[in-house]
Amino acid sequence: MKFPGTNCDEDVRHVLVDVFGLEAEIVWYKEFAVKQWDAVILPGGFSYGDWLRAGAIAARTHAVEELAEARYLGIPLLGICNGFQILVEVGLLPGALLYNDSGRFVCRWIRTVVERPRGPWLALARDGQELDMPIAHAEGRYYIDEESYNSLLLNAPVLRYLNGFNPNGSVHDIAGVGTEDGVVFGLMPHPERASEELLAPKMFSPGGKVIFESISYSLKRGW
Amino acid sequence: MPLSPEEINEIRRVLGREPTVEELTMFEAQWSEHCSYKSSKILLRLLPAESRYVVVGPGRDAPAVKLFKDFVVVFKIESHNHPSAVDPYDGAATGIGGIVRDILTLGAKPVALLDMLYMGEPVDPHANWLIRGIVKGISDYGNRIGVPTVAGDTWFDASFNTQPLVNVACVGVAPLNNIVLGSPGPGDLIVIMGNATGKDGLLGSSFASKPLAEDTDKEIGAVQVGDPLTEKLLIDSLQILVSKGLVKYIKDLGGGGLTTAISETCADHGLGAVIELDKMHTRQKLVPLELLVSESQERMLIVVEPGRLREVEEVLTSYDMPYSVIGYFTENGLIRIFYKGAKVAEVPAKELARPRAVRRASHPPAEALKGLKPVYSLPQEPSYIESLVRLLSSPNIASKRWVYEQYDHEVGVRSVIKPGLGDAAVLRLLDGSLRGFAVKGDANPRYTSIDPFHGAANSVAECFRNLVAVGSKPIAIVDELNAGNPEKPDHFWYFEMMLKGVAWMAEELGLPVVGGKVSFYNEDYRGRQVKPTTTIVGVGRVQDVSKAMTMDLKEEGSAIAVVGVTYPELGGTEYLYRLFGLEEGEIPRPRPSSELRNAMFILKAVGMKMLNAVHDVGVGGLAVALAEMAILGNMGIEVSVDRIYARGVQRIDEILFSETQARYVVEVKSARVEEFKKLARRLGVHISIIGNVLDKPVFTISKGSKYILSADLSLLRDSYNSLERVIEGGV
Repeated sequence: MKFPGTNCDEDVRHVLVDVFGLEAEIVWYKEFAVKQWDAVILPGGFSYGDWLRAGAIAARTHAVEELAEARYLGIPLLGICNGFQILVEVGLLPGALLYNDSGRFVCRWIRTVVERPRGPWLALARDGQELDMPIAHAEGRYYIDEESYNSLLLNAPVLRYLNGFNPNGSVHDIAGVGTEDGVVFGLMPHPERASEELLAPKMFSPGGKVIFESISYSLKRGW
Repeated sequence: MPLSPEEINEIRRVLGREPTVEELTMFEAQWSEHCSYKSSKILLRLLPAESRYVVVGPGRDAPAVKLFKDFVVVFKIESHNHPSAVDPYDGAATGIGGIVRDILTLGAKPVALLDMLYMGEPVDPHANWLIRGIVKGISDYGNRIGVPTVAGDTWFDASFNTQPLVNVACVGVAPLNNIVLGSPGPGDLIVIMGNATGKDGLLGSSFASKPLAEDTDKEIGAVQVGDPLTEKLLIDSLQILVSKGLVKYIKDLGGGGLTTAISETCADHGLGAVIELDKMHTRQKLVPLELLVSESQERMLIVVEPGRLREVEEVLTSYDMPYSVIGYFTENGLIRIFYKGAKVAEVPAKELARPRAVRRASHPPAEALKGLKPVYSLPQEPSYIESLVRLLSSPNIASKRWVYEQYDHEVGVRSVIKPGLGDAAVLRLLDGSLRGFAVKGDANPRYTSIDPFHGAANSVAECFRNLVAVGSKPIAIVDELNAGNPEKPDHFWYFEMMLKGVAWMAEELGLPVVGGKVSFYNEDYRGRQVKPTTTIVGVGRVQDVSKAMTMDLKEEGSAIAVVGVTYPELGGTEYLYRLFGLEEGEIPRPRPSSELRNAMFILKAVGMKMLNAVHDVGVGGLAVALAEMAILGNMGIEVSVDRIYARGVQRIDEILFSETQARYVVEVKSARVEEFKKLARRLGVHISIIGNVLDKPVFTISKGSKYILSADLSLLRDSYNSLERVIEGGV
């Protein structure tokens, strides 16, 4: 789904179509109808220029209201970076994403680890598997209060920055979170930039692959 | 600069009557130095601009060069020095916006941005504020439009404390058959799309064509304000319009606003135009004069055949893209401007677009003699380790991570060699093949301020080497000449010499200068010019991006070799400045034939997969190049200075820190050393195998049986990573 200001749409399509052989289209938000799709990805970028707050305006569009319907129908939803910010903003995922504690935009490769993988986006990931990916954001510091953390995330799939790789001051080193069933998942790192060996710098491996392999596997098996 | 009395007389002659206020304003905008190149265009003809790869040469908003037989690269450089001195955030941001729109005019897809920043010392509070604002401006704008900022150049010098140089470049790619090369014809409609016109940037080009005033705050109205979201929508909607073949011609509304866009389009195609100003969509109420010269950002002029207008309108509406149809082209060569039915201006397009060239007086100042002075009586050599640490922590050499991590350099999934690891960025085309390109920007303000001719030639050579070091074949360059006041002969001399230096070296290296920009009046309010600076951006062809080279050491036991001859050339070096406080002497000599020979050798060795790492020798000399390779690879080295092929050296610091041109350091795979030597002999290239890569974090240089420099890698890394501390702790 593409909003004004979304800028990773072509990258995600490239990976889905050219790397993993799925059928995928970029859908302009005005033309989005949830029932046509087996799975929906909200790619990164700066929807509405990040005016007001990252994801805040996109979260109030009709297209995003449709996503509540997707949740009801059990259609897999993935939010990457700005897409994650939108999913959090609209309440489909818990928590909030605040300004990085450095106060600056930061783009670099980091390492994460998956906990309790489940659902269509992490079906093929192992518990404790290490995933390397780049991040690129100014508002990526995940925040959630302790009570919600204990009630919502202790049983849900979570992606954490490995020790020493938390780039923004996120609580509990959280890089991504899912619903308990893992059907909705959101993360700040960019899996589409980490799906080909060619793009991974020395010392890192393309850790985003497993997410697209998982959705491919899940959809083919009939999610 | 306001029009001179002679120019006003010239206008009277052109019109055959007294000009109206609107006409005078149009002439002032279009005849400004920024838009008309009136002081530089005679000399600019010296630049070689042809090669068999050039598809569109200088003259359009952007040139196009064949990267492969079916693919072009469109790239251009721009300066936003004056706006960035007053409002660093918006000044730098709108520089990015403008250069991207230049690329859009040929229908290419912008895929890479570069920023070449020559700024003040981070410890100076005002300069520090400028540095943060400039980088944040580029970060916020570039990131939001989804074009990765992949490379650049950064230099810190007190000369730029109040007047920084902000040079930005953009690279676009397109299949050869998709670029927009049509011409407008009589009757075609003139459509302005994008941002609503407002009062920002009124006569901004005129502001950029005079020295900075002491109270620059008053010039804030001349600085434009950027809106990256609209720019992103411009990129997206133009891509659709171009793919559907709906536009005949595209032009950016940049410096000089509507006046420049209309007059240049008409003059280039022998046309006239009828414009109804009141049809323009505006942000606020504007008078005709403001509508003519506002430099509101994110606006473009597209030329549409009347029969295709409906389809164009459908695309623009679906993208929520504001637009207005403001007029049409005519055959008679006259630009006629109307406002609510009344004619406010009638001007011949050719005369408006092309003022008479001015041949400025040019004379070297006495200060220029310092570039002729041999360096022969230096104090005793400081300890080599102290020298190396001071150089690695110099902001001009230290890692620029603080800068490039604020830029999204990954978006687009093309960035194969990312900032910090290679001498140039390497991007793939993403067309299903492994083809791609390399791009880099370079300058050395110290060289050009000491010796503008040789300094500018060295900028071309440095860029050439950086492109070669990643394994690409350089195919073309663009240049930005940042100079002082053209009306002062001792400022203009620097411009003239820099331009001649670029022309000479480009010719020698067989690189066409396909486009560029001139920025004058870079002086402070006391009339002192900032260091005159020649910035070169070059593009190289990469057949297989998976073979592109980085500079980090990779394998224990492989050999370290220096390619090229080392001369005692400490004049103008970072070493001489950081250790002795001297900025003088003969700067390193440009060596075009060695450049060509050594480049061919490197490209052959890369193609035959003999090498693990390549790094050009630049600022800081051999010792710094070696240290960078070790730090980035996190591997140690053990080398000996005795084996370095050098001529005429008397001191070890001349070997370690001379910035002699046409040199590279390479890591040769241990099993390929003999082949490597043989290839060098065959091509007549001087190489020296000077040592080995180690698996432990120690950096040692020996002479005879003695270590003359031995350091733990972590000490060097700490110095190399000091820029963030310097900038963040600077206030």
